Amino acid sequence: MVDHTYKEPILTLRDISMQFGGEVILRDISLDVLDVVRPGVNQGQVVGFYGRSGVGKSVLCRIIAGLLPPSTGTVMVANPQRPVCPGDVGFVQQRYPLFNHRTLLDNLLVAAGRKHSPADAKAKAQDFLIRFDLAPHRRKYPAMLSGGQRQRAAIAQQLLCSEHLIILDEPFSGLDIAMIDEVKKIIIEVTTSDELNTVVIVSHDLATTTALSDTLWLLGPERDAAGQCLAGATISQKHQYNLAEMGLAWQPGIQAKPEFVQLIEHLKDEIRKT
Amino acid sequence: MLKDLFVPNAKPRPSVFFTMVACQVVFLLLLWLFYPLQLFPTLGEVLASFKDLVTTQGLIQELWASLTTALGALAIATVLALVIAYLTALPFFRPIAYAASKMRYLTLTGLTFFMALMVSSGHQVKLSVLIFGATVYLVTGMTSVILTTTQEEMDHARTLGMSEWRSFYEVVVLGKLDEMLEVVRQNFAIIWTMITLVETLYQSEGGIGLLLYKQNRYLHLAGVVAIQLVILATGALQDYLFEFLRRMFFPYSDLSVAK
Ligand SMILES: Nc1ncnc2c1ncn2[C@@H]1O[C@H](COP(=O)(O)OP(=O)(O)OP(=O)(O)O)[C@@H](O)[C@H]1O
Ligand SMILES: [Mg+2]
Repeated sequence: MVDHTYKEPILTLRDISMQFGGEVILRDISLDVLDVVRPGVNQGQVVGFYGRSGVGKSVLCRIIAGLLPPSTGTVMVANPQRPVCPGDVGFVQQRYPLFNHRTLLDNLLVAAGRKHSPADAKAKAQDFLIRFDLAPHRRKYPAMLSGGQRQRAAIAQQLLCSEHLIILDEPFSGLDIAMIDEVKKIIIEVTTSDELNTVVIVSHDLATTTALSDTLWLLGPERDAAGQCLAGATISQKHQYNLAEMGLAWQPGIQAKPEFVQLIEHLKDEIRKT
Repeated sequence: MLKDLFVPNAKPRPSVFFTMVACQVVFLLLLWLFYPLQLFPTLGEVLASFKDLVTTQGLIQELWASLTTALGALAIATVLALVIAYLTALPFFRPIAYAASKMRYLTLTGLTFFMALMVSSGHQVKLSVLIFGATVYLVTGMTSVILTTTQEEMDHARTLGMSEWRSFYEVVVLGKLDEMLEVVRQNFAIIWTMITLVETLYQSEGGIGLLLYKQNRYLHLAGVVAIQLVILATGALQDYLFEFLRRMFFPYSDLSVAK
């Protein structure tokens, strides 16, 4: 019995490569994220995105978000597919920037106002303030917030105005257990609220992220036949894991399964090797 | 408590700190009072000449005239400089901002002569020289503030679906207004330097610069010192006022500064 099928593409990367002044960072990256359809379930996609520090994850995120034109290749989004423009993809950057000259509430309102009417925007912003435990701090400026509060605010801001695709660059770092659960809950909520919603999670927290994901990407340098490292990192075929196919997606309590534990060990080995 | 005054980054209590400042000032005054320097006028002489300047030469009125001229010039220059600095976002206008900031090196005297040919009244010459001089300094400071905009900040605005113009407005215009005010405050001093000079070149208008010039010419050293102190006090007051405005309008502006 087939419990899921794939439909139209949501995000397509073709032959992406990136160089900074002759230094090759990324090369030959081709990826597809397809709309997963499960009978009876309204479910979007979650991609876990791993790689060593400094390997080029954030650079690839900026390329996907349309903020950085790649040296070669194209990124296509939306349906029908078209080249990405800034604003098509929500992107919570690694250092959680906010508008420092606006209060927390204002930050959310200015984002919500991009897509909603003023009254709606207000309601949505209030809702996020409460869900992210930020309500008591609404009048504070970003410089007065803790790291975790800033982070939640930045995530809320992107969720308030994003279309279907959103990239979170290290959303779990610096959060306590309760807040990790909260962010997890929100990711699940985002992906289950629309078929087409897709969240890409860049993370070093393999267990948490893998448990949420249905696809994994591992970015790392490749070796040629002679065992020499090639310049530039890529996401090779064998480093694109389809967890749905492996029977490791969409299951509550999956973290306890032996197959899951094995996969995490395997991922750790692969990351060490790169 | 007292040793707090000699520990790096220590925060003495305000009362202690202000007592210390008061003592330092009194000490300086006493030093001046009891150990007069050879050439430098004594405190008594300065005070007497201050009184004379106020009562017979209209120091306060002249100060007021100069101050209002300076403020008017500064207001116009600020608007001009902001426009020029913001226009650097458009490549077409970048050469203008570049050229404007290099005009700092034009000398004032030559400039005054040139302006005198272009506009008719003395007041206008004065004003246009001040505006020109202040603008070129302000543009320099403002463009360097704009250049502190980071990729991350711009990307952040873009990912929220803001257009390139809106992102610029949000991040550069709104986001850096407080720093622009700071640039204006820092460059106000330049206007004072210029105004005293221009007033000596254009004597018909009077002003504190002319008063200072006369004191200089008749070697009234006490008068010179008195006027300088008055300008100094006005400047300090201005700084304080700008600081106050910044706190009021941009409460976020020094939140992340080391205290
Ligand atoms: N604008 C740039 N110019 C030159 N080199 C850059 C630029 N941006 C990134 N790099 C380089 O690209 C490489 C990848 O950087 P990136 O920020 O993508 O790492 P990362 O995988 O996100 O690491 P981390 O997990 O530590 O965040 C780094 O070696 C960095 O120096
Ligand atoms: Mg990174």
